[in-house]
Amino acid sequence: MTGQILPGARSDGSAWSVGAVGGAVAPGCGSSGGVRCVGGGVGGIGASPVRPDGALKVRGEFAFSSDLWADDMLWGATLRSPHPSATIRGIDVGAALAVPGVYAVLTADDVPGDRHYGLEVADQPVLAVDEVCYRGEPVAIVAADHPETARRAAERIVVDYGVREPVTDPEVALAGGRLVRHVPIRKGDPAAVAEVVVTGEYRVGMQDQAFLGPESGLAVPAPDGGVELYVATQWLHADQRQVAAALGLPVELVRLSLAGVGGAFGAREDLSMQVHASLLALRTGRPVKMVYGREESFVGHVHRHPAILRYEHGATRDGELVYVRARILLDGGAYTSTTPAVVANAASLGVGPYRVPNVTVDAYGVHTNNPPCGAMRGFGAVQACFGYESQMDRLAEAVGLDPVEVRVRNALAEGGSMPTGQVVEGPAPVARLLELVRDRPAPPPVGDDPRQLPGGVANTTAPEQVVRGVGYAIGIKNVCFSEGFDDHATARVRLELIGGEPTALVHTAAAEVGQGLVTVQAQIARTELGVERVVVATADTSVGSAGSSSASRQTYMTGGAVRAACRAVRAALLARLAGGSGAGADDGGVADDGGAVGDGGVVGDGGTVGDGGGRVAGGGLELAGGVIRDAAGRTLGTLVDLLAAGPVERSVRWRHRPTRPLDPVTGQGDAHVQYAFAAHRATVDVDPELGLVRVVEIATAQDVGRAINPQAVLGQIQGGTAQGLGLALMEELQVVDGVIRNPSFTDYLIPTILDVPPMAVDVLELADPHAPYGLRGVGEPPTISATPAIVAAIRAATGLPLARVPVRPEHLTGTG
Amino acid sequence: MRPVSYSRVADVATAIGTVAADPDSTFLAGGTTEVDLQRIHVARSKRLVDINDLPLRQVEELPGGGVRIGAVARMSDVAQALPVRRRFPMVSEALLLGASPQLRNMASIGGNLMQRTRCGYFRDVAAPCNKREPGTGCAAMTGVNRGHAVLGTSEYCIATHPSDLAVALVALDAVVLTQGPAGHRQIPADDFYPMPGETPDREHPVAHGELVVAVEIPPLPMASTSNYLKVRDRESYEFALASAAVAVSLDAGVVTDVRLALGGVATKPWRARRAESVLVGAPATVESFRAAADAELADAVSHGMNAYKIELGRRTIVRALRTVTGDARMVSDDGNPP
Ligand SMILES: Cc1cc2nc3c(=O)[nH]c(=O)nc-3n(C[C@H](O)[C@H](O)[C@H](O)COP(=O)(O)OP(=O)(O)OC[C@H]3O[C@@H](n4cnc5c(N)ncnc54)[C@H](O)[C@@H]3O)c2cc1C
Ligand code: SF4
Repeated sequence: MTGQILPGARSDGSAWSVGAVGGAVAPGCGSSGGVRCVGGGVGGIGASPVRPDGALKVRGEFAFSSDLWADDMLWGATLRSPHPSATIRGIDVGAALAVPGVYAVLTADDVPGDRHYGLEVADQPVLAVDEVCYRGEPVAIVAADHPETARRAAERIVVDYGVREPVTDPEVALAGGRLVRHVPIRKGDPAAVAEVVVTGEYRVGMQDQAFLGPESGLAVPAPDGGVELYVATQWLHADQRQVAAALGLPVELVRLSLAGVGGAFGAREDLSMQVHASLLALRTGRPVKMVYGREESFVGHVHRHPAILRYEHGATRDGELVYVRARILLDGGAYTSTTPAVVANAASLGVGPYRVPNVTVDAYGVHTNNPPCGAMRGFGAVQACFGYESQMDRLAEAVGLDPVEVRVRNALAEGGSMPTGQVVEGPAPVARLLELVRDRPAPPPVGDDPRQLPGGVANTTAPEQVVRGVGYAIGIKNVCFSEGFDDHATARVRLELIGGEPTALVHTAAAEVGQGLVTVQAQIARTELGVERVVVATADTSVGSAGSSSASRQTYMTGGAVRAACRAVRAALLARLAGGSGAGADDGGVADDGGAVGDGGVVGDGGTVGDGGGRVAGGGLELAGGVIRDAAGRTLGTLVDLLAAGPVERSVRWRHRPTRPLDPVTGQGDAHVQYAFAAHRATVDVDPELGLVRVVEIATAQDVGRAINPQAVLGQIQGGTAQGLGLALMEELQVVDGVIRNPSFTDYLIPTILDVPPMAVDVLELADPHAPYGLRGVGEPPTISATPAIVAAIRAATGLPLARVPVRPEHLTGTG
Repeated sequence: MRPVSYSRVADVATAIGTVAADPDSTFLAGGTTEVDLQRIHVARSKRLVDINDLPLRQVEELPGGGVRIGAVARMSDVAQALPVRRRFPMVSEALLLGASPQLRNMASIGGNLMQRTRCGYFRDVAAPCNKREPGTGCAAMTGVNRGHAVLGTSEYCIATHPSDLAVALVALDAVVLTQGPAGHRQIPADDFYPMPGETPDREHPVAHGELVVAVEIPPLPMASTSNYLKVRDRESYEFALASAAVAVSLDAGVVTDVRLALGGVATKPWRARRAESVLVGAPATVESFRAAADAELADAVSHGMNAYKIELGRRTIVRALRTVTGDARMVSDDGNPP
């Protein structure tokens, strides 16, 4: 497929970059080669229009879900288990009910529908049923007229626990049969031997998503017996399905709207307060608001799976990989959540973006009585990458090669095959990304500005006390949902005259979680429909599912759906122009993506919608600036005229090409939709005596296929890299005997702006022939390789093995 | 947070009288510790008496080169005050290297000295903690004690005192001035912080209703080139793993006088008297500094995860001494570090 000119894609493989210093601005539409953005001149694809939420957030005026208010509302509070493992012999809510101002106290017995929920497996109780399996598990809920009243009433609930010894060691859990999923990958010869063998065991601590907006929402009882739920989430329809099941209501009676989301990173994919607030609202007949406190939030969402990774890499003396054997153990905590998919990712991506003829990987996820783990940016690929990239450095050392060279020698490329046997279609510029970060100019040498030295302004470190190190890493991530999942997104697009001006209304259920999706949807509509005015409706469940804002998939999926819906609208308009009414529900432009499937709303009426944004291939017509022209440039009509007959609305459910499950024995199968790659070079200055690290600069190179919004691409790369830095140097939930010992932002450390270095970013735009506009998911890859690159740099500076993240001062002073 | 009553007072006598009269009341300054602890139910006062309007905000030069700092003065204002920056840069630096700009704009000097330990078990009302509830035990002893003390510990408590400012004040022989129902008192900073011993709940000698009104730092010419060094897990907004406040006077390469105090490694702001006595009369060399550091940490005890602090404490002392004797002050005069 290489070389094919794609709709709206920059097929020339153009690249752009942003230096590490200063506030360089990403290119706007068409600033560097490639195809002109028709209709996108003002905020179409490839431009970086101002986001509607940006200024509000900076000024503190954005309404988050915790700001929701209804005049007659009650406040919900949750009683949580103080024990990681216990039976429940009885619950006495009498004293809580007696508190003045309390309206309801509910336990598992009050759950009218399914008492368990879950994204993949419904095994997590809405409220504890006869036992608790982690500390912080919800046991009972209270509604009262004041949040403090609700909390104090919750404290008065008497629970008779039969405390059990918790299982907190994942190895013990595995040996004890608490397996959630085992994914084996078998490729080539399991007994392959090699001239050079390097082994290592690595560990990754439990990272938290550390979003700032705590779990919160407002449930309002509806006159029809249903409930309206306003909530910060990643996937409205998955919430809807689970809430309805728990309430014992048909889904139509559970209506969700997205409230202002204060960060997500995977932590909002599972339910938190959704069912609880709804139960209380239905029970009391009053709106009920719930907002978790910070400590509560740390037990109120899933975390990144801590991992133990054992690797053996065999290679030739020239550093060419012969085999990789790995065992990856992930602690899933008390409930299943997304552990099965995380395990599959860790396994299928477990050797990294390398050509390896012989692969034996066994990845396990287990249940323990630790806090549940699930989705977090990078999703299984993060843990594996720390393992395999640490190994690649060991291999480089063993064969006497430069770390970039050993990686380039083994780099996966287009047409290469994954350990699952899946052939990588479309660009896989692994070697090029590595070379890009390698060839970046080195950051300035150690200077004497204290702000640039380890320890910053804290008088710790003079330039001569510093050792510099440079480290590299590259990662691979799957985009969209895998393993045969029916992954789809729905968009409804309506074009009409408002105040005499053609206006597009885009409606999806896709969650804007801060990534800029609202802006991207509007950009696509502008490009496709040649209009300037686009209104993006609040995401809610009155339109079909968009799938989750996770797996780096939403611009691909909802972007794809919006594009398809816009093209259906355009086709209808052109049919109006022709005065005919044809048939054909297909959106020809996306047919090879596995087909755009109409959900009944699509009535195509003539004319295939073709390649370039705004261009209509069938008749050689072009729609731009509200005017329709033919190939000769003659004006055939205007949008205003065409819309005078009434609005055009189309709704499309859009799918990516299908994937397949992994074979349960061999792990073979075309399980993933798209692969995304990012490489990092980290430069660090270390004060080995005091154990202080200053990350001097991070160079990143990433292939994004097509930068729909270059500014947002940069934001994802910088933010993702910072999150990877956090895991490398400081972020870890300290869980002892099943208890999180640092549930606050004073004790769970995330990087401050002073800890985050300047970033030099190279963006490649190598179109993926299967993806809308050739784009590639952007959000996760930069998180994945930042961590190992930084640790590699510290190793280079200190010579220490550093087999565990995060790396803290005591690991560097050699006195830990 | 439980319901509390709140009142705002404008004069010292009313403040003292109001709190002294109600055993369930306490002073509220910037609230950056108090409100936090109320919220997590570690502090349980029912009445908060806001003292921010008291006329205790000034930073005054004292004759002879000392400084007097009002108890309600903000950390950020004191850090910027010229007399403090010129005469006692270690105080300015200790303040600027603590907390975050927003916190420093709220937090007061009195509140800083009275802040409570950051021990995670102290802050978790479900955990045993002798400091919070005498006799319940010390969960940190065998728990997560990476941040805990290696000096001055007892079998009852190993928590550090978190204040950076107090470390500098202890080094400088500052005096805490209080006023209470029983009159005025002057308490040397070093005595202000007792060792935990068997009563870690007794954190200071201030009686209920007694108000810290000011801190006085006596003149010390060599402090004009002093500094404060802080080792922490990230570059801002974080407590010390180890810190040192240091001032040295040299004559022909020999230490004639030295002030050294440590933070982050001890149960109280720790005046390093052993190190000081090794240093006085010794040449200002790395060897002397090491010997001083070894002497100071000789009795250090670790409890597991904090084992690294013994060596880190030594290295911090050596580094601080090297820096101060090498004329390598790092917070610029006009700099406003985060
Ligand atoms: C996230 C975070 C990070 C921090 N990092 C650091 C750090 O790195 N270094 C550091 O030193 N500090 C740090 N702090 C602590 C901070 O400096 C203190 O919270 C602050 O100085 C307390 O001052 P305040 O005026 O807010 O006191 P308040 O919270 O109002 O009061 C604290 C206590 O002192 C009592 N009190 C207040 N004033 C008086 C008075 N005049 N007389 C008698 N009693 C009084 C109050 O009753 C209360 O018990 C941090 C705090 C936070 C929240
Ligand atoms: S170290 Fe002190 S404050 Fe911490 S738990 Fe033990 S007694 Fe309490």
